[in-house]
Amino acid sequence: MSTLALHWVHRNLFAKPFDAALSLVVIPLLAWAVYAFGHWALIDAHWQVVGGSFKVLMAGIYPADQLWRAWFAVAILCAMFGAGLGLSVRPGRAALTVVASLAILIAAGVAAAINPHAGVVTAISAVLGIAAWIGVHHAAVDQRIVLSGLLAGVVAIFVVLSPPGFEVWGGLLLSVVLTIAVSILTLPFGILLALGRQSRVTSLRLISTAYIETMRSVPLILVVYWIWIIVPLLAPDTSVPGLLRGMAGFALFFAAYVAEYVRSGLQAVPRGQIEAARSLAMNTWTLNVEIVLPQALRVVIPSLVGQILDIFNGATLVFIIGLTDFLRAGQMILADPQNSGRTYEIYVFLFAVYLAIGGAITYASRRLEAHLARGSR
Amino acid sequence: MTAIQSASRDAIVSIGHLNKSFGAFHVLKDVDLDVGRGEVVVIIGASGSGKSTLIRCVNGLEMYQSGRLTVDGFSMPTEADRAIGGEKELARIRKGVGMVFQQFNLFPHMSAIDNVAIAPIRVRGRKPDEARANALRLLDRVGLRDHAHKLPAQLSGGQQQRVAIARSLAMEPHIMLFDEPTSALDPEMVGEVLDVMRELAREGMTMMIVTHEMGFAREVADRVVYIDHGRILEIGTPAEIFDRPTHERTRTFLSRVLRH
Repeated sequence: MSTLALHWVHRNLFAKPFDAALSLVVIPLLAWAVYAFGHWALIDAHWQVVGGSFKVLMAGIYPADQLWRAWFAVAILCAMFGAGLGLSVRPGRAALTVVASLAILIAAGVAAAINPHAGVVTAISAVLGIAAWIGVHHAAVDQRIVLSGLLAGVVAIFVVLSPPGFEVWGGLLLSVVLTIAVSILTLPFGILLALGRQSRVTSLRLISTAYIETMRSVPLILVVYWIWIIVPLLAPDTSVPGLLRGMAGFALFFAAYVAEYVRSGLQAVPRGQIEAARSLAMNTWTLNVEIVLPQALRVVIPSLVGQILDIFNGATLVFIIGLTDFLRAGQMILADPQNSGRTYEIYVFLFAVYLAIGGAITYASRRLEAHLARGSR
Repeated sequence: MTAIQSASRDAIVSIGHLNKSFGAFHVLKDVDLDVGRGEVVVIIGASGSGKSTLIRCVNGLEMYQSGRLTVDGFSMPTEADRAIGGEKELARIRKGVGMVFQQFNLFPHMSAIDNVAIAPIRVRGRKPDEARANALRLLDRVGLRDHAHKLPAQLSGGQQQRVAIARSLAMEPHIMLFDEPTSALDPEMVGEVLDVMRELAREGMTMMIVTHEMGFAREVADRVVYIDHGRILEIGTPAEIFDRPTHERTRTFLSRVLRH
């Protein structure tokens, strides 16, 4: 071992008697855990169960002959993700290498788990995403155009996926689509609530405050369940699919949290900004749209991106209204007697995917925060 | 005193018996002041005397409780009026009144040219191309054509304040209000802002200026107003106020600010 490494070990692990004692306990424990997990993962585990049930995990009971729709949605998602990335992260050589190797890894994994054909489609989607990333960044596409494009992408996903019926949506696809749709729906609603809470009109202020405080005081699952029950009562003759009812519940609940984030952003806008806009004879609408909200949202974007993670993780609760999200799909596979004893494989896979997506969102939120901090005054 | 009487004949701003309070604090007491078209009125007084509050009343950033305030022929709604509406009149008045703030208050998320063009586009309904072309002309006029595409954070204080003046001018106001426009500037940048204001005065813009720059006041003012504890104590030509003040308090104030 080189002296530099020895020095590092000394300073970080054995600096004081207590550090040394702790290191002597923790390091062997950690080593044993890594060895045990590695041994199990590489030698004992039967990963075929994941490959064999890949379709159910990813898309639930979506009809097999309609799966091209799901693949189409994946491609749109990749392009949207790339375009969003293009707004904030420079496609430098290092970043591109990381993303490209990840894409190759995932494509190879998909090819191994399902078939080479699926691997190729995954790779094409990844290329689309990277192209959108580089394209948006280098062409310096206007933010508003990108945002409208993202909105159009969400609509396109719904249009493409809906023909077989909302009841068959499931798996990771359902979790992701639900998360994206809810994240977008909560934004305008949350902004209106935040503005309402600050309004000079007393009735608006009271209603907004009461709504926000109520939603923040009750559990998410109660709201979701409540909406699920109440929609058929309000509209007995129409059958609103469970997915849309679930989405409504999520959107109504998380809008209250968005409103509170936005409110903190509104308060961060200096009074002088409002006075300047007023002195230029702007009305309240123009003042909010052009001056106040762009500044307020810039402050709260990292929090809002962070909330997407809350929504994604919260989406595991939709099993309570009979939807099959990613987690539920895993449990369904385990319910098959054929797969008994494969519990660890499935749950480790679920854990890894949730961790990867959650980690990506957290990272994006951090990057955005740094990016926006650099861009402002 | 002839200047005062001739001004009131064609007044663009007419203030009579104006009273304004912040809660229990009576800021402006029975203020009377007429400003004629093309006239430059400089308002001086100690901090807290109510001079900023007075010009902030003229474009409705502050509300007054009683008295009369007409701007450009429109009467400014009182606090009681505004509690039940009055937004339309307020907007109509503000379209004709420009304001420059001590802290510039440029919109930090827009380039200089967008700062200048936004109100003509969104308030007056101008076409974006025309508004931006006009904004560029105005930036040229304040010597900032080359900085049109910079963000406020990339400009010095003096440059920001000149953009702010261009932004107000873009609405083609009939009167400009300046609320201590050079107080937040480093000394070496005061001159460039005062130059722009001097130019405006020469072109005949009606201006109400709150400032501590006494040399500038003496040079550009048609009349100087001295406010003390919310009351107008003296109005007169710069020579009258600076050389022959009649009130003891005016003398004390001037001796304090002119000493250095």
